[in-house]
Amino acid sequence: MPDSPTPTPRVRADARGVHGRRRMRIVLSTMWSHGTGRFALIVLGLWMLISVVSLFWTPQSLWKTDGYHVWAAPSRAHWLGTDGTGADLFSWLMAGSRTNLLIVLLTVAFAAAFGLLLVAMMVSRHSALAHGSVVAIDALISIPTVLIALMLAVPMGASVAVIVLACGFGYGLNLARVARPQALLAAHSMYVESALANGASAPRVFFTHIVPNIMPVLIVQCSLSAGTAVLAEAGLTYLGVGVPSGVPSWGHSLSTSVRFINIYPLTVLWPGLLVTIVVVALNLFGDALRDASDPLINPRLRGA
Amino acid sequence: MKYLARRLLLFVVGLFAISVVIFLALRVLPGDIATIMAGLNSPPERVEALRAQMGLDRQLIVQYGAWIAGLVRGDFGTAMLTGQPVAALVGTRAAITFPLIILGLIIALAIGIPTGCAAVLARSPRARAVYQGVAIVGGAVPALWGGLILILLFARGSGLIPILPASGFPQAGWADPGRALASLVLPALTVGVIVGASMMRYTRSALQSVASTGTIEMAMACGMTRTQALTRVGLRLAMPQLVSVIGLTFAEMITGVMVIENLFALPGIGSGLVDDLGHRDLIAVQSELFMLAAFFLVIGLLVDIAHRALDPRLGD
Repeated sequence: MPDSPTPTPRVRADARGVHGRRRMRIVLSTMWSHGTGRFALIVLGLWMLISVVSLFWTPQSLWKTDGYHVWAAPSRAHWLGTDGTGADLFSWLMAGSRTNLLIVLLTVAFAAAFGLLLVAMMVSRHSALAHGSVVAIDALISIPTVLIALMLAVPMGASVAVIVLACGFGYGLNLARVARPQALLAAHSMYVESALANGASAPRVFFTHIVPNIMPVLIVQCSLSAGTAVLAEAGLTYLGVGVPSGVPSWGHSLSTSVRFINIYPLTVLWPGLLVTIVVVALNLFGDALRDASDPLINPRLRGA
Repeated sequence: MKYLARRLLLFVVGLFAISVVIFLALRVLPGDIATIMAGLNSPPERVEALRAQMGLDRQLIVQYGAWIAGLVRGDFGTAMLTGQPVAALVGTRAAITFPLIILGLIIALAIGIPTGCAAVLARSPRARAVYQGVAIVGGAVPALWGGLILILLFARGSGLIPILPASGFPQAGWADPGRALASLVLPALTVGVIVGASMMRYTRSALQSVASTGTIEMAMACGMTRTQALTRVGLRLAMPQLVSVIGLTFAEMITGVMVIENLFALPGIGSGLVDDLGHRDLIAVQSELFMLAAFFLVIGLLVDIAHRALDPRLGD
């Protein structure tokens, strides 16, 4: 396969910049100064806050069902109304946010770790390993995540682990494929040659030279994966292989109300709206973070 | 040719790997397959009988060999509930799923490519922001919810503009083409609009990367307008990238399609697979999973070949 012939790395290894807490403050304030970044930070911040709060407090108990007030319209007692068992929809959505947050964090962590491992294999100097991993990724990438989830669900049943493993695996493959060109450019650069000649170990070269070069791609892919994981949770839970019944999640709220859509259309509006807003925020977050944390784009990080 | 040979080899290796993974997922991971199929509280004799009947008491490698030998002969096993051959079952289901996917893809292309071009052509920052916003929000809608909104808008019985059937597939099937097609419109629209949003994003970025090479300016220097240059020259140059994306989108669509088939009560491949999982008909599930995975491997193969054919720079 022809790779770009001229290795022009994006970040010079000797570039001096801003590090540590100061860097984080600059990144955050740059994100905050843009409209889309601010929207993403607010939504994601609220999401985390609500997840934590829901561990201690929800407006109504999750298990307090009220047979006389099923499918109730929004009222002072039930801010978004009640579902088919008379349970408070707002409380369930609140509690669901922590399940979704957990799923997203685990999925992204797994996908990033798996993806980086694949990238490391693809840029390794053992040509059999490098070629073999490229071939394997090409072969596996066309298998949809939902099929992997269904395969896993047979022995494991419906569980959070099915979502995390299936999505993490699929998104990790995707990440590796997208990051490969940048990683190869860096791996074939002069400074990597010189680091190796100076006796740097392969892991050290990987983490100090190659990972920073694929960081922009990594950030965007991880945020896209996070958004897709939220959507996948809703779909897989509806198909009965995601979050098990009885555990609050947005997909759970969405799919329990589906059957009665014709009679109580309002109930279905809120969970879907919530998922859409959060996924938009996750996607915007990735773009904003990439632009704010890339020293080539954000001059404040170059110590200027 | 060398590339083709390597890619074909890769395809065969992929098929083999997938078959092993599916087989092992159903055998080795916790939960004995016969116990699962017989049901939780069934007596041990029944489990034993089922195990013997399905040949699950044989060695793993023998079971795997028998399964693969069957696949090669076109024998995909029989469904536990109906006793129907799995191949025939999948055939009837595919007659719903494939038209749905193709219809959805056509809608997605019809939406995504023109809007993607328009997004690149747009000059004012505000118009660009609007296009960007539409693409991001469109891609963020859960398929389930999108389908529900369309039902609320257009379905007979409950919709604001009741013009289309909300769910189900006519008993007569494609013998009644008008009604069959009508029952696919809302599901296809749901899939198509959501996929169309990501198609728009891909078209936009492909066109932008083509434009950054200066070919668009070149075409304009030869007397084309900007619109002409982008749609005639730009789109053609972006084609290899777009074909790759369409192939991957195909795989991506199947998640939406499974949800949508369940939502609209269409007896297609996706809802059938979920049903069989629910009935714990694992022999059918095993063959169905393999067929679907094989299908996507074929798509991946075709896309890679088409990509090569369309982009002469990638030749050997």
